[in-house]
Amino acid sequence: MKHITKVYGSLYANDDVHLTLDKGEILAVVGENGAGKSTLMKILYGLEQPTSGEIYLNGQLQHFRSPHDAVNQKIGMVQQHFMLLNPCTVAENIVYGREPRKGIFFDREGAVRVTEALCEKYGLYIDPRRRVGDCPVGLQQRVEILKVLYQDADIIIFDEPSAVLTPQEVNELLRTMRKLADMGKSIIIITHKLHEVMAVADRVMVMRLGKYIQEMPKSETSIQEMSYLMVGRHIVERKVPPREPTGRVLDVQDLVLAGSDAKNILDHFSIHVDGGEIVGIAGVSGNGQSELIQCLTGLLQPTSGKILLKGQDVAGKTVGEIRTAGCACIPEDRYLWGCAAKASLTETAIMAHQNRPEISKRGLLNGKGAKDFTRALLDGYDVRNSGQAQRAGELSGGNIQKLIVAREVEQHSPLLIAAEPTRGVDIGAMEFIHNKLLEKRERGDAVLLISSELTEIMSLSDRIYVIYEGKATGEFRKADATEEGLGILMMGGKSHEAVS
Amino acid sequence: MNSAYIASILNSTLRSTTPILLAALGSAVCSRVGVFNIALEAQMLIASFASIAVNYFTGSILLSVSAGILSGALVGLIVAVLQVKYKAADMVVGTSLNLLIQGGTTFLLYLIFGLRGSLVDNRLVSLAKINLPVIRDIPFLGRVLENLTIVDYLSYIIALLLFIWLFKTVSGFRILSVGINKAAAESLGTKAVRIQMGMVVLSGALCGLGGTVLSMGQVIMFTENMTSGRGFIAMAAASLGMSHPLMTILSSLFFGLCQGIGLALQNIIKSQLTMTLPYIATIVALVLFSRQLKPSAKLKKQGKA
Repeated sequence: MKHITKVYGSLYANDDVHLTLDKGEILAVVGENGAGKSTLMKILYGLEQPTSGEIYLNGQLQHFRSPHDAVNQKIGMVQQHFMLLNPCTVAENIVYGREPRKGIFFDREGAVRVTEALCEKYGLYIDPRRRVGDCPVGLQQRVEILKVLYQDADIIIFDEPSAVLTPQEVNELLRTMRKLADMGKSIIIITHKLHEVMAVADRVMVMRLGKYIQEMPKSETSIQEMSYLMVGRHIVERKVPPREPTGRVLDVQDLVLAGSDAKNILDHFSIHVDGGEIVGIAGVSGNGQSELIQCLTGLLQPTSGKILLKGQDVAGKTVGEIRTAGCACIPEDRYLWGCAAKASLTETAIMAHQNRPEISKRGLLNGKGAKDFTRALLDGYDVRNSGQAQRAGELSGGNIQKLIVAREVEQHSPLLIAAEPTRGVDIGAMEFIHNKLLEKRERGDAVLLISSELTEIMSLSDRIYVIYEGKATGEFRKADATEEGLGILMMGGKSHEAVS
Repeated sequence: MNSAYIASILNSTLRSTTPILLAALGSAVCSRVGVFNIALEAQMLIASFASIAVNYFTGSILLSVSAGILSGALVGLIVAVLQVKYKAADMVVGTSLNLLIQGGTTFLLYLIFGLRGSLVDNRLVSLAKINLPVIRDIPFLGRVLENLTIVDYLSYIIALLLFIWLFKTVSGFRILSVGINKAAAESLGTKAVRIQMGMVVLSGALCGLGGTVLSMGQVIMFTENMTSGRGFIAMAAASLGMSHPLMTILSSLFFGLCQGIGLALQNIIKSQLTMTLPYIATIVALVLFSRQLKPSAKLKKQGKA
């Protein structure tokens, strides 16, 4: 790709960018959110047309007007947001676009056979008859990869592939990529997780603010150098000083949430969080974390058990009552729970702050008060925006997340629930959000951190619980926690195995 | 209540079902590709009028039925262009088309024929009534299937064909994929917008055939607003049938039965009251079924998240 430039309005998403890729090579394209990595890949995959610049494939000039053209030239893309038909089976999803037929009919048995053969060929196993919606995220991603392989792609683009995966799934994915590269596929991985780059890439290309910055073989660089090039400044390694907890803020006792069958979604779940403490909950996603958050915040009614917030039982109370009692929440899915995509930044910022005297009086909003408040949040949390009238959905992932973090931290509530607070955001934003959580802890408030990102839990938490199938299966002090120990419990092992 | 009475109720059930079933299939194909088409009423009514108008001037069954189907498809095309291509609000498009066609057909009735209210004329030819050779001699069944038109039978065949097309063929799989996840379908090169537009036009054609049966089947006349809400009943039928062609047959039969019973009771209870039966049934059925459907809808949502 030569001299690629893409302009949106007055914004240069890509500014004269070059990219080369050799056969059988894994190229990592790194950069912060908004650095233009995704735009570049969308151009390569035909989803966007460049304002100027050219793409050559094996020396031939190409014009990709649609993903269809790219697919025909054997370029495939594993999207960050999966493009799957959830109610359909794995096999149906994989053969989509080139379905086996029997006469005029769709040969579904043939699709199953094709899928099995494909799994065999690449050593990526999955049950072809399973409904995609029932598969865990890691398997859904495998379906995406198999889809691309079924289309016979020689160049495979992975867009932030590990954003939604558990540590085990990430390792599995990295192995898969290496295997595919060894089989002669060329791979581009877009990411900002630098340890993954170090683990799998052959070559690294750094982008910042739409510009090509530098590229180098992995062997000649380091995480420090890459992060410096990405952010344009040095990132300081964090040291968290220990802190004596103050009084009990959250005490969850014997919480049960019945499921649709005999198994409880939350099964006699008990934890506590003290003031001045960050407590992490580690676990493979889908083990009851989402439901726990929903019970704690009042979105779901627990079947039994107590949730004591500052000594007051809030189990079964409404969301508003629980918020008033002193609980703020950074929800796990910023688009589903965290904001309304079509709301303006002002509206997004004042949600749950609307009763403050400077924002509203007697039910009437004070426009200027709301704007001032929002301005303070946007500036104080470095949310890059093009004015308060901008819609929340138009911000990049990292920026909307910073705004949500700002809104929830500024509640100054005794308890803050932070669910996947840095999912899919870049290093700069991640560092920023982590610092805000630590500041919250310094003020003596309690933070409950729920994350599938083990490194995040381990670096921030004072204590860590492991959740497995709705039970709290282990409790660690920071000093005792190791990635292996937590990992064993997360996969359903026993706690003595984790210690030994 | 004797068997002849029951047979006549069933007979009128089958006759009333046909327009509802055809329109409900139209509604089903739209919702299967994620388009909320509420202009079914307009698509039917224009066809009732167009078929009778062509019938009046040509006396040709074939031409009148074609006119019905085409005029319905034409209204469908308007919906497709406005709603799918230009993303206009479905409620606004549907409601305004329904009102436009209601007023428009009344206006054209006056303009072309100089008539108000309805058009009845002995020059009008009706769809051929079929009495199947052996079956007509079977006492009960013969009465149930008495004097049905070819379209009455055809509607079930269309439902079956739609089922096979959507659920058994590759093109059907692609069509359904558009409704399941449009972005995913597009990312794999499926022309989602074109498919959506095509399905809306198809729904227009199906409703058109339904509207034609209405004015050329049981009775042979056009009356102002003669669809009287059947498009909406059809929407309810499609939704009860979960937009599945075969299930939609059952739900449409249910609404047909309500109309059949309503007609039969006209001699006993005031007709103003009996005519409300299908509409009450619609509301009751939707309420009952929405309860049952809720858990699965919730599951689907979780799957998405």
